[in-house]
Amino acid sequence: MRTTARRTALSLGTIVVTAGLLLTGCTSPGSSTTDKTTVSQADIDKALDTPTKLTFWTWVPDIENEVALFEKKYPKIDVEVVNVGNGADEYTKLRTALKAGKGAPDVAQIEYQYLSSFRLTDSLADLTPYGAADLSDEYVEWVWNQVQTEDGSVWAIPQDSGPLGNLYRSDILAQAGITEAPTTWAQYAEDAATIKAATGSYISNMPGNDPGQMVGLFWQAGAKPFGYDGDKTVKVDIASDETKKVVDYWNDLIQKDLVSVDPDFNDSFYQSLASGKYAGWVTAAWAPVFLQGTAANTSGKWTAAKIPQWNEGDDVSGNWGGSSDVVLKTSENPIAAYELAKFINNDPESTLKFATDQFLFPTKTDTLADPAFVDQEAEFYGGQKVNELFAGVSDTVDVSFEWLPFMDYVYSSYNETLGKAIADKTDLSTALQAWDDEVTAYAKKQGFTVE
Amino acid sequence: MSAPTVSAPTPTAIDAPRASTPRAKRHRRQIMREGRRSTLLTVLLWACAAYFLLPLLWLLIASTKSNADLFSSFGFWFGKDFNLFTNIAQVFTFKDGVYLRWVLNTVVYAGVSAFGASLLATMAGYGFAKYRFPGGRAIFSVVLGSIMIPLTALAIPTYLLFSSAGLTNTPFAVIIPSLVSPFGVYLMRVYAAESVPDSLIEAARMDGAGELRIFWQVALRQLGPGVVTVFLFSLVATWNNYFLPLIMLNTSDLYPLTVGLAQWQATAAAGSGSQALFSTVITGSLVSIIPLVIAFLFLQRYWQSGLGTGAVKG
Amino acid sequence: MAVLAASASAPPNSRRQRPPRQRSTQSTRRQTRAAYLLITPFLIVFVAMLIVPLFYSGYLSLFATQLIGGQEFVGLANYLQALTDPSFLGGLGRVGLFLLIQVPIMLVLALFFALALDSSRVRGSKAARLAIFVPYAVPGVVATLMWGYLYGNDFGPIAQTFRAIGIDAPNLLANDNILGSMMNIVTWEFVGYNMIIMYAALRTIPTELFDAAEVDGASEWRVAWSIKIPAIRPAIMLTVIFSIIGSFQLFNEPNLLYRLAPNVIGNDFTPNQYAYTVAFVNQDVPYAAAIAFLLGLVIMVVSYVVQLSTQRKENLS
Repeated sequence: MRTTARRTALSLGTIVVTAGLLLTGCTSPGSSTTDKTTVSQADIDKALDTPTKLTFWTWVPDIENEVALFEKKYPKIDVEVVNVGNGADEYTKLRTALKAGKGAPDVAQIEYQYLSSFRLTDSLADLTPYGAADLSDEYVEWVWNQVQTEDGSVWAIPQDSGPLGNLYRSDILAQAGITEAPTTWAQYAEDAATIKAATGSYISNMPGNDPGQMVGLFWQAGAKPFGYDGDKTVKVDIASDETKKVVDYWNDLIQKDLVSVDPDFNDSFYQSLASGKYAGWVTAAWAPVFLQGTAANTSGKWTAAKIPQWNEGDDVSGNWGGSSDVVLKTSENPIAAYELAKFINNDPESTLKFATDQFLFPTKTDTLADPAFVDQEAEFYGGQKVNELFAGVSDTVDVSFEWLPFMDYVYSSYNETLGKAIADKTDLSTALQAWDDEVTAYAKKQGFTVE
Repeated sequence: MSAPTVSAPTPTAIDAPRASTPRAKRHRRQIMREGRRSTLLTVLLWACAAYFLLPLLWLLIASTKSNADLFSSFGFWFGKDFNLFTNIAQVFTFKDGVYLRWVLNTVVYAGVSAFGASLLATMAGYGFAKYRFPGGRAIFSVVLGSIMIPLTALAIPTYLLFSSAGLTNTPFAVIIPSLVSPFGVYLMRVYAAESVPDSLIEAARMDGAGELRIFWQVALRQLGPGVVTVFLFSLVATWNNYFLPLIMLNTSDLYPLTVGLAQWQATAAAGSGSQALFSTVITGSLVSIIPLVIAFLFLQRYWQSGLGTGAVKG
Repeated sequence: MAVLAASASAPPNSRRQRPPRQRSTQSTRRQTRAAYLLITPFLIVFVAMLIVPLFYSGYLSLFATQLIGGQEFVGLANYLQALTDPSFLGGLGRVGLFLLIQVPIMLVLALFFALALDSSRVRGSKAARLAIFVPYAVPGVVATLMWGYLYGNDFGPIAQTFRAIGIDAPNLLANDNILGSMMNIVTWEFVGYNMIIMYAALRTIPTELFDAAEVDGASEWRVAWSIKIPAIRPAIMLTVIFSIIGSFQLFNEPNLLYRLAPNVIGNDFTPNQYAYTVAFVNQDVPYAAAIAFLLGLVIMVVSYVVQLSTQRKENLS
């Protein structure tokens, strides 16, 4: 007790002193010196043979299993896996730690759309000196474009992705006399009316709180709402012809009460999936197994299909979700950190484990072709080879989709504008413009040049 | 970010005899009143009490259900399977039994914080009440006024300060801020002024006792019930705190129950790789409130007499 | 009497003001030293945990921060911006409404329960007291989780009950109802707490005060209205002030309900929640600090006005 008290008193002293320091001058971000010199194999071997402790922030459940493979191969490296929260929760913590200059991990999981916001604050290590550029051929093209910038720098190793698809209750569709999944959006809208009339179920839910899903649909429609040159110029084109086409389409379904507008991923949403309130779900490749866990009582009744197309005969998809692993610039052991990020997302055993144990949808081409993955037959989907279907979808995602370096704001603004209009069933295209305006104003206020 | 109503300790005179009522008279009155029970009032009050208990009843029933039953059966009746014990086992074994760790953390954070907060508040409250010294009144006003500071104003600065002292992601980051209880100081000041007679202090001075000795050996005994109350309510405040540990802690092994449960609940919404843990979260919630409810039941007898006198007349 | 301000300015025990004449300056000095020794431990933590961050925050609020270009001193510009910010003002309006509706309901209920329990006319009053108080021991996280399930539109027991008796279930998480639903949660959590404060105060009233009135045949209600309630005025004032502060600082409940009704609640539902969003999502810490300061100012003014107005009433009567 006594030592505790003394330590506390000491710390309090430190706080008062540092408070003075903080009051006189703010902490300045570290100077940006990009070291492009290549790290030699000898350096790597040495780093991996030196006792090192790494911290890894991630929210993938049971990722300890993949990390264990790494630790088994490199016994000198000790990895501490820490889950500080999902997505936005983690980024908040990461930013605060970076701002404080202390407490950030060596490796962190970051979703693709947030990579540029951490590049903006110069928080990520460029991975090219460690040989990351050589990995480009091993990953699906659109995914690799998410982690590599035009100047050739690589900022992360892809972990998983979420090409869009359509899951539906074949039994409910059959009740409405529909035997085949709709292949075009026009047909999807017709089916929506048939299903609603015959069974009372909604063909899908369109949540007002999931910008990721809406942006995925934009992506599929060929829109390029965001752009960032890596410096001070951003592109905001949220209200374009392509995006208008998408929101007008859903606006129509919402106004006719053919899709529901419940918030997703809360208990009520799961109840609705399990109960048949929704006859289907426009979702991503990670969803099949997720659904299996939450709607177990509907096993065998589901079918997976490709996402409906805007033009008959096309085969285009978008992406919703997925993450990469980055090395923070503040890491004192960047080589070992890079090797960890690379190993778990590149080693065949590890990537297959992700795909078959945690059901993360693979980004690596050989895993996507691995029979152990593609030939899995899912009882929940009546024995369908769901992975095979989605593995095919992965190649149809547009390869050049970009983001803004402040997606936290963009998504939060979505919930207040377009998302709110969905939930309130008011006109979506007005709200789309409002979203565009808000984001543009924010970008200007933050000192960006907006194109 | 608990509202001040949460952290404000209150004096109570539960089960205490009315001040200055002679025992016999009170007894007589009690007997006289026995015959005047009002059925209407009883029914009315118990109907209201039911409202306060109903959500807890739901929690108890929901804890016996599986994930599937949770979504397919009526909320206030049992589901197909009785899963209470499976759920409890799941709560305590999930992620290598980290839940038990959270329970221990919560007990330690709340216990240490409450002990420290009541000690500091008692010393300061007594100091403000029994001494006149330069600046005393001004300092007290500042302390009291601080109740009105919205804590979001302090979240980031506090984090930066703790970080520069190397204290983020340690138990100290949760405990040290919880040691400050301005309302506890206010309460103890009022209570000390009422319950420690100046004559007692003067007498001790005559006997040659030093000021601090008077505090420890004479005054503290009189202050007992006040201290217990400040302790109890600081305990609840820290036990239920969510915001502070949420910003300060990263490692799951350091979480208190509130943050841990919220994170389990969020796992369901992770998109890729998510797990639906509803029944586990619900059962974990049930288990988490049991200790405090028992503490209140058990300690009811200790929120002792006369407390109301000083404190509430403030 | 005004609880906070009055106690801060007036010494609680006037006897102290006339120190015995024979007291030497040496013992006065010794006592002063003892006083400082006693309050110092608290003050150190108080200054480090509240005052220093507060000043730091105040300092930050004078800057403008940009993702490109960094920080720049702008004086009071953030404060001026907040005064015309619809998100901030909207949130303020919402908590104002909350204050006007929820606080009276909660306190009247608490007072009613306290009086009923004090009157000894209720059977099983000890158990009832505990039942009403128990929600206070339930963490806000758990309380919101429970009510979230109960409110559920499709499968919540409340909606199920409505449907079972053939009435259309109201969506308790929709725009029109969300404030009421939140008021219900806060009332559920804190009625017991306020009741205990009032009940404790009631127990301290000397019975002589109303025994005579009862002998004279005054009804229980009359006794409660003209003797008991005036006697516990300070305790009631205390609950009022704390409820005012609590309402303005509302954060936990909207923050946790956000998950259930994201588009309805929004991230600027209350000023405190807005400040949190501005700081952590928009990454504009200085502006968040300015909002928080303005909110503190509003709380201070409202608390003070409420205290003054009740004081005046007291003086008039």
